[in-house]
Amino acid sequence: MRVSAETKQATRDRILRSAQRLFADQGYDATTTRDIARTANIAAGTLFNYFPTKDAIVASWARQALDDATEAFDLEASDVSGLEEDLFSFVALGLRKLKLMRKHLPALLETSLSPLVTHDAGDGPSLRVAQLEVVAKLAAKHGHGEISTVALQMYWSLYAGLLTFWSQDESRKQEDTLALLDQSLNMFVGWLRNNGAARSATNQP
Amino acid sequence: MPSLAQLLESFPETHDADAPADAALSEMIDSTALRPVPLGRMRRFGLLGTLQAKIAAAYLFYWVRGWFTSAAERERLLAETHWKSAARVLDSMSYLRGAAMKVGQTLANFPDVAPRAFVETLDQLHYDAPPMHWSLLAEMVRNELGDDPQQLFARFEQRAFAAASLGQVHRAELRSGEEVVLKIQYPGIARTIREDMRNLLLFLLPSRLSKDWESVKAQADDLRRRLELETDYEAEAATLTAVRSLFREDDGIVVPRVHSQFSTPRILTMDRIKGVHLDEFVARGPTQEQRNEVAKRLIRAWYRMMYSGRLLYLDFHPGNIMVLDDGRVGLLDFGMMLPLNDELWTLFHVIDRALTTGRREDRIAANEMWCDVDRDAWTADRVEITDAYADWCWRARYCGGEFDFGDEADFREGVDLFAKMAARRYTRAKPCTPVICRSQFGWRSILYRLRAKFDIRAIAESEVKATGWDRSDYL
Ligand SMILES: Nc1ncnc2c1ncn2[C@@H]1O[C@H](COP(=O)(O)OP(=O)(O)OP(=O)(O)O)[C@@H](O)[C@H]1O
Repeated sequence: MRVSAETKQATRDRILRSAQRLFADQGYDATTTRDIARTANIAAGTLFNYFPTKDAIVASWARQALDDATEAFDLEASDVSGLEEDLFSFVALGLRKLKLMRKHLPALLETSLSPLVTHDAGDGPSLRVAQLEVVAKLAAKHGHGEISTVALQMYWSLYAGLLTFWSQDESRKQEDTLALLDQSLNMFVGWLRNNGAARSATNQP
Repeated sequence: MPSLAQLLESFPETHDADAPADAALSEMIDSTALRPVPLGRMRRFGLLGTLQAKIAAAYLFYWVRGWFTSAAERERLLAETHWKSAARVLDSMSYLRGAAMKVGQTLANFPDVAPRAFVETLDQLHYDAPPMHWSLLAEMVRNELGDDPQQLFARFEQRAFAAASLGQVHRAELRSGEEVVLKIQYPGIARTIREDMRNLLLFLLPSRLSKDWESVKAQADDLRRRLELETDYEAEAATLTAVRSLFREDDGIVVPRVHSQFSTPRILTMDRIKGVHLDEFVARGPTQEQRNEVAKRLIRAWYRMMYSGRLLYLDFHPGNIMVLDDGRVGLLDFGMMLPLNDELWTLFHVIDRALTTGRREDRIAANEMWCDVDRDAWTADRVEITDAYADWCWRARYCGGEFDFGDEADFREGVDLFAKMAARRYTRAKPCTPVICRSQFGWRSILYRLRAKFDIRAIAESEVKATGWDRSDYL
């Protein structure tokens, strides 16, 4: 029997929702794929067709959350003071969408968040590439031209570091993460500025 | 940029004593209320930004070294190493830079009055939080108050309206129509400051303490605790509410109302006071009458808080005082208040006798109780100078009648006496002494600045009644 695309999507969503609930209620480690299948009312084998591992569920969930954030983000916002602020809004919006899965993010460090992954298991470019596209657009918007791959790599290291820090942030309402984000972005944009300036200086005849 | 080590090596070998210690001290005291801190010799070096902190560190180091000149070489080296580590710690505390600079600059000026000046300058600590752009600020509001600023408020100004030491101040309008300001902290700064202050003091205070240094350490610790309190907006909100309840409509004193549903340990939302800062009021050239009125209200507020509220307002500073169009006086910034515990309250009662009678023996009794020094340490010179200083502090009050607080010679006399006390290291006293002395100079400089003339005793007498003290044997 062929399963329609809609049914497929509905099942996926159901699995994700069940997983989210179970992670929240009993913790990530204590939740088995079997638990998730049972809660989602499907056979364990069916679950496997959708998500080979628990980590894949988290990855897909993160991907969805960040795609939501990208969609909601206003790339054209004109009332921002600079690239730092634009990037801050973008990342902060993502964090808000990821909030429920904050503690489970380290599981993704070697998969979706890894700088080596260019494509997700499913379709389309990886979570990383999707995020970096926005970063590149914002850099261009603020007059930094076409941003180098080195710069993007550096951004990603900071971003992955931020998510890791956030997953373990014990400060009041994770406010330390906001400070870290602010300072990381200042560092990144400062570097971008100096580096750009250095490059154009060496290009002088 | 030169490395810290290079800087440490490059600073001068000998101290050029171009400024006599007490002239420099009076400059420092003036600066607490009369103008922004003078950069003085720092500016002469043409230094800016982070470099300032390093230079300040180098100066502090210089001072520490001078202080060991008579000691054995080994001990001196120890002190130097000690200081170099401190300089490194300091270097990593960006928001304490301004403070570090002030400490360094002041201490470099007073090699001989160091311990006291050390606490005095720590007392002027001001933090320098990094600015927050709107995205970060909005995120802090969401984090703390649970929703977007645009949802919570009818209007929220994206641009900061004033800088606060831990963050910034924004104007907004509540849905109910009230105009308010929100004081918002840079995320995480409160805790970082607490940790860094501890480290700083650990490094700055020598490990083997003489008796006088122990007293200095107690005073510095007291200060640290007070500065830590300043980082807690919830505590400030509670104080604001307590103080506000002390005043009635016809006192002409305004203390902003706290909106607790929009306040947290990181955000303080209160009524906006519409007026001008004291500096601007003075610059507009008010009449003697208008200046006296403002001064009288301020003094009434100060006594009301002290005698009815058992709270000493410590942060007298032109930036914390506003004058409204109708002449009412607004008080801001209740981060630094000294609650008068039973011990201090008893002491204040003893001081009340001296304040009322103006008798030398009453003053000496009060001083002895305050300074907590062994009998044999009370040399004739010490008695003489502390009494002269106390007399200066209390004269206007026991004399009664119109007192000219704008008399420059009188103001200088107080500054000089204080400098003399510090120079002779008559520094042992209750731990809270530095903040009290600062507040004493604070309000005196404000009255001086206002060139106010009025009867302070009359105001005090009407306020002291609230204490319920038995004053029958000296009144
Ligand atoms: N209720 C208020 N109404 C109007 N202006 C205010 C109010 N509260 C604060 N401000 C403005 O914000 C400035 C800083 O506020 P405040 O002194 O309370 O902050 P702070 O962090 O204690 O700063 P500092 O320690 O530098 O004095 C004030 O000088 C004043 O201009």
